[in-house]
Amino acid sequence: MTDLSARVTINGHIIKTSTSRSLLEAVIDSGQPLTDGVGCMGQGVCGSCRVLLRRKDSREVTTALACETAVEDGMQVSFLDHLPMNRHHTYTTNDWDDTWNLLNRINQTFPEASRCRHCGGCDRSCPKHLDVQKGVNLAAAGDLSAAKVFDECIMCNLCTIACPEHISPNHLGLYIRRMTASVMLRPSDLLLRLRQIDLGVMPVDPDVELT
Amino acid sequence: MSFNPVLLSSATQVGANLEAWFAQGGGQGLRQALAAPQAIIPLLQEAGLRGMGGAGFPTHHKWARTAAQPAHLDKYAVCNGNEDEPGTFKDRVLLEKSPHQVIEGALIAATAIGANHVLLYVNPHQPESVASLRQAVQQWQTEPLLQELAALQDRPIDLRVVTSSGLYIGGEETAVIATIDGGFPFPHRKPPYPAECGVDNKPTLINNTETLAHVPHILRHGARWYQDLGIGSAVGTKLYSLSGDVLRPGLYELPMGTSLRKLIFEYGGGMLQNRPFKAVFTGGPSNTLLTEQHLDVALDFDSVRALGSSLGTGAMIVISEGTSIVRKVAEYVDFFAAGSCGQCPPCKTGTYQLARLLRRIDTGGGLHSDLRALESLCELLPGSGRCGLIDGAVTVVRSSLMQFKEDYQQQLID
Amino acid sequence: MSGIAYELALANLSRSDGMAPPAVDKTPLLHRYHPDYQEGTRTRLTIGANRGDECPTRLATLLQSNAQITDADLAGAPVINTEVLVIGGGGAGSAAALTAAEQGRRVILATKLRLGDSNTVMAEGGIQAAVGEDDSLQRHFEDTLRAGHLCADRTLVARLAESGPDCIRWLINRGMLFDLAEGTPVGGKLLRKKPGGATCARILSYHDYTGLELMRVLREAVELDDRIALWNRCPLVELLSDESGQCVGAVLYNLDWHGFILVRASRVILATGGAGRLHLNDFPTSNHYGATADGLVLAYRMGARLRELDSFQYHPTGLAWPSHLVGGLISEAARSAGAWLINGEGNRFVDELQPRDVVAAAILKECAEGRGVERDGNLGVFLDTPGLERRHPGILGERLVSLGHLAHRCGIDPTTEPMMVRPTLHYQNGGVEIDEHGATAIPGLYCAGEITGGIHGRNRMMGNALLEIIAFGRRAGQHAGATASPKPAPKVGLYHLYDWQRQIILSGLPAEVCGPCLFPDYGNFDLRRDLVLRASAPGAVQAMVAGMTPS
Repeated sequence: MTDLSARVTINGHIIKTSTSRSLLEAVIDSGQPLTDGVGCMGQGVCGSCRVLLRRKDSREVTTALACETAVEDGMQVSFLDHLPMNRHHTYTTNDWDDTWNLLNRINQTFPEASRCRHCGGCDRSCPKHLDVQKGVNLAAAGDLSAAKVFDECIMCNLCTIACPEHISPNHLGLYIRRMTASVMLRPSDLLLRLRQIDLGVMPVDPDVELT
Repeated sequence: MSFNPVLLSSATQVGANLEAWFAQGGGQGLRQALAAPQAIIPLLQEAGLRGMGGAGFPTHHKWARTAAQPAHLDKYAVCNGNEDEPGTFKDRVLLEKSPHQVIEGALIAATAIGANHVLLYVNPHQPESVASLRQAVQQWQTEPLLQELAALQDRPIDLRVVTSSGLYIGGEETAVIATIDGGFPFPHRKPPYPAECGVDNKPTLINNTETLAHVPHILRHGARWYQDLGIGSAVGTKLYSLSGDVLRPGLYELPMGTSLRKLIFEYGGGMLQNRPFKAVFTGGPSNTLLTEQHLDVALDFDSVRALGSSLGTGAMIVISEGTSIVRKVAEYVDFFAAGSCGQCPPCKTGTYQLARLLRRIDTGGGLHSDLRALESLCELLPGSGRCGLIDGAVTVVRSSLMQFKEDYQQQLID
Repeated sequence: MSGIAYELALANLSRSDGMAPPAVDKTPLLHRYHPDYQEGTRTRLTIGANRGDECPTRLATLLQSNAQITDADLAGAPVINTEVLVIGGGGAGSAAALTAAEQGRRVILATKLRLGDSNTVMAEGGIQAAVGEDDSLQRHFEDTLRAGHLCADRTLVARLAESGPDCIRWLINRGMLFDLAEGTPVGGKLLRKKPGGATCARILSYHDYTGLELMRVLREAVELDDRIALWNRCPLVELLSDESGQCVGAVLYNLDWHGFILVRASRVILATGGAGRLHLNDFPTSNHYGATADGLVLAYRMGARLRELDSFQYHPTGLAWPSHLVGGLISEAARSAGAWLINGEGNRFVDELQPRDVVAAAILKECAEGRGVERDGNLGVFLDTPGLERRHPGILGERLVSLGHLAHRCGIDPTTEPMMVRPTLHYQNGGVEIDEHGATAIPGLYCAGEITGGIHGRNRMMGNALLEIIAFGRRAGQHAGATASPKPAPKVGLYHLYDWQRQIILSGLPAEVCGPCLFPDYGNFDLRRDLVLRASAPGAVQAMVAGMTPS
């Protein structure tokens, strides 16, 4: 790499690198050990490499994924620790056994959701630009279309960190999604095939001759 | 200790008893104000009264700016009693023990700026203050002086108590307005300034409780009297909330400009168990720390500012040797993290990361790279919020890093 | 190697006549250009259970490497007991841990990065399960066996096919959604796609991020299961043995506290994934950052036998530009939809829908013979998305949404500018030999997921990787859970290392080469250097342990 025209500050290290590199690669270029804040390395699906980011001459500080963000000269970057395991909102799939009680369950498991103060911090934090707050409000109102809002959520937890009411929006979204599947998804072709297997009419002959 | 307090004098501590207040000379200030409304602001200017809520901004500026707005508009005078910073406990005492002193100050403000709404904004987590204030306001409703104020403006005066959300952020001026407007206390960037566009988009004056409490006395005794209360070039008196590792923590009213040493070692009875003095978090947590070399600083706005810190609310949280600065700072950052309103991701997320790094260092798992990351974060974050909350958090961290870097370094692994 | 300059290649592309590509003779093409067949890139193993077998040199070096630690490193390290220890935070590890926990076992799931940072979360295509009316378990079995060139383990493949529908039920029960082709969630029909080499449509999916959907559900299930202690950032450094050679636990390294932890476990399940980040033959990879074959190396060191360890899948269409995304995957969907591959001279050179190994070899041939496209020092060929859009207006916006996202991240508009691709190291076809329960030949040691061999033979079908991790993760968790003993082994140590080190010395191998490597070379991680950072503060070990044991 010959082009070292860009200078970025990452966790206090001034790194000379190229604008063709991602922020994550800039860490590599700096020679520091990289054992944290890294996962899929470019696909933007694991949510590990979350950073706070300020561009040159800008007052604004935003959140972003380092693997998806190209280096720009003068960037200031700070990696964010991953959230310690969140067992704040606990439940098991057995909670959904009584399907007439689902809406109560949502509010019992995520009681903070109804206290959303509409600050919009979750929306502004989301690196995938999802309508997080809208999803939270739908879920709190028992509208399961909230599941759709969180379709592309990568569970980076930035909204959970951002939420002043401790709602854990992404976990709420996942809760609704999981509930939707666990309780309501019963495709007929799968049911039929499972029954055939139970009845023993769907055997596999491992010794079949193949060419 | 021969100093005679003003705000905390026994004469003012009459509770919600308007008759008793008048018997001790209360009401005179307002009467003088009503007699010559135009003279009020010049008088405050001459006296040199400054905002006691943290900024130390000359009071007459705000008043003049609000007074200059068209007289036919509704105007608001708001007493800010949200007080929720760690280590600050002065306003709640004033509101509970001498509510009339504060209300009279607010009414004088209304007289000066032409406000027909006088709102006492108070923290619901301080129920004694709220109760006392409500009772006191009730007593004013039938008081002829209030009718005089109404007659002066030729419109009724709306004097009432408003409870805040109780959140720290609710004390920020623009959040006060948002709360009174019926919303969540979300701060917004200034401009517009409250003087032009505040509650209900009307001209609004917001003053700290202690600031307003001084006003009746200045009206009554004059600017010269007020000036002479202070030490050196400082004027008036100041309420100092002294806490931490001292023998006698508490609320002290002393001449503005009293030295830190005197406050701690004379009034506060010295350090607890004679442990060596280490540092003071001034004015609530959002200021830089004062250390041993600063013990002789005069505790007035300008002298403390000259050290790069701020007198703030007058809170002095004293730390002795043996108390971990890193842990204290972590606690403050946690306070800010909890207080963040959520609107600006860098505030909530930035305080999260500051807290993580501080905890890691404090629990013995920190590396030099963590310290460097902490310093870097202090460069990255300031100015990114709509209000000053994130800046406040950074100020504490940065100040502790400047003055107690060794404390940090000693706890690092590498 | 150099290629045709990007600008010139673009001009050539614009003049491209789209003439059908010439027919290619597959066998010589593969032998000449596919990395698996390259002379001089493989090494014959001289020690271990696969002595005499060949595998890529970089992998051989690690398989025959010395231990990272000695007994001295274990002095003072905390010892924690559990019944089942699962290592690996992807789909297989999660499925294994959940299944073992369902049987009431105390489980520790340890992972090098964080739970979910894995190849699983990156999987786009889908998961195979024979649920279609026109399909059968037998067809799934036969398709898989054929695709793997008939060299897979028939028992394993039979178990794989049989458990497909039940795995889908298991995933749905835990809250995973699948796309429907028709009807409503109750009673509708699942959307099925046809994988290359299959006789009917069998891939179930959730949009084009099936792995993300699967992983976020399993991660939440694991995190919320209080029978499972989750240890993030705790890579496996060595396995623990007793005198009889049984696996009785593992040595982990806590990256937060820079110290070792000994876990005594009745059963150990390795679900540590593949080897993409070893960049075999200097290839870029589509794999996640942690794919460094740690489990494979340690299982081999303990005596496990490997199979098809010379067989890797190179996905033809990895990104070749821009630099920071090189190796990232462009799904096969683009070629299925009709996108052409065009070389720097503006010509098609291979039928784009040939098997992956053939297309990959063809691209490598173009590059090797100077007909590749060169941009910013990166060599590849064009995936002609503008041409696709011209022939099928609107297709990019409607059907290839993820491709659009990816192009956007590359900073290009795929309707007007082609993408640059070249093969990327994608999957380890072979691995540790297991039985149908995921058990290895070493008592106490199980493997599940990409680390294992025998299921895919020498070539994996699309959609069988996600099925494998669930099917065999569950099987391993089930068997380990059923057979685990609550009593920890009385004697644990590094007994297996003594004989291993003798073999290294006697074979003249370098004793100073240590493995597993834990992180790619460019991760700048050095275990010995990191160890110096071991927390010396009083109570640090207790603090570390306190953070790792459920409160």
